[in-house]
Amino acid sequence: MSGRDYLGEFEHLIVLALLRLEDRAYGVTVRQEIEFRTGREVSIGAVYATLNRLESKGYVKSHRAEPTPERGGRSKRFFHMTAKGLAAVNRTQGTLERMREGLDFIRSY
Amino acid sequence: MKSQNPVQPPRTAVWLITVFSPGEEGETILGDLLEEFSPLALKAGMAAARLWYWRQTLKTIPHLVAAGFGTAPWSTTAAVIGGFLLHRFVHGLPDKLLRVVTDRYLAYWSTHFEIYMFWATGGMLIAHLIASVFTGCLVASAAKRREMVATVTLAFVLGALGITSSLVWLIRTGDMWMLALQCADALAVAMGGVIVRLHRTAATNSLPSPT
Repeated sequence: MSGRDYLGEFEHLIVLALLRLEDRAYGVTVRQEIEFRTGREVSIGAVYATLNRLESKGYVKSHRAEPTPERGGRSKRFFHMTAKGLAAVNRTQGTLERMREGLDFIRSY
Repeated sequence: MKSQNPVQPPRTAVWLITVFSPGEEGETILGDLLEEFSPLALKAGMAAARLWYWRQTLKTIPHLVAAGFGTAPWSTTAAVIGGFLLHRFVHGLPDKLLRVVTDRYLAYWSTHFEIYMFWATGGMLIAHLIASVFTGCLVASAAKRREMVATVTLAFVLGALGITSSLVWLIRTGDMWMLALQCADALAVAMGGVIVRLHRTAATNSLPSPT
């Protein structure tokens, strides 16, 4: 297992948003989900830069939907996790949990 | 299928995203921003929605530039370095040309001094800017789909070097014109990238559909 198999902080947030949104995951919903749950403003550029990076690693896949009028005749790009991506999330979560073990006092901060 | 939105986002912001993002990526981003912009304009007002759109645009452009650089770092770096060297070479040409023309038509200049003064000041300034736009166009052509990444990086490098030297000049002489000229020079390089990018976008859009 190399260090590249772990997700970065923002990558981690993105894949968790994809898992929550299931088949409704595209730029707008992913951005809003992260903003709603973390309370920090996220740019659409940051979302796509990370999604493209995850796609190049084989962690997510994307497909285009039909263009819609409310988007000025532009199509949505939907994303979903791959098995390789799910394995990377589990690995990252597992590592974080192992590092957290025995540090219950963190909760008091 | 074209836009049916009664509210339209800031045109300049839309243009910036179009220029900085390659192909379909830009269309998807613009679609996402418009989808959020319209309800926000109705809910929070046009001014707040436009501010949000501009904030998103300004935060998105650095990501687009970085992503473009990350896609092909070596060829983009080569285009920037090549552009830097070309700029050094091309920038000296107007001065050489001025010397040649001045020497050749010395008698004419002595009787038309106003024309000589225009040629030596405004004419030279215009020639320098044209040289920079030309450099930007060549760098953008070499960088293929990463026109803006390469030219904006080159503009930043030239701007940083130029502004540093101009500040020294400004402290010594108090003249602002050198600083203004360096900023205009860097902008002209980026303008070359915009010209090539828009030309390529127009050419792509005019291609017939495969169906």
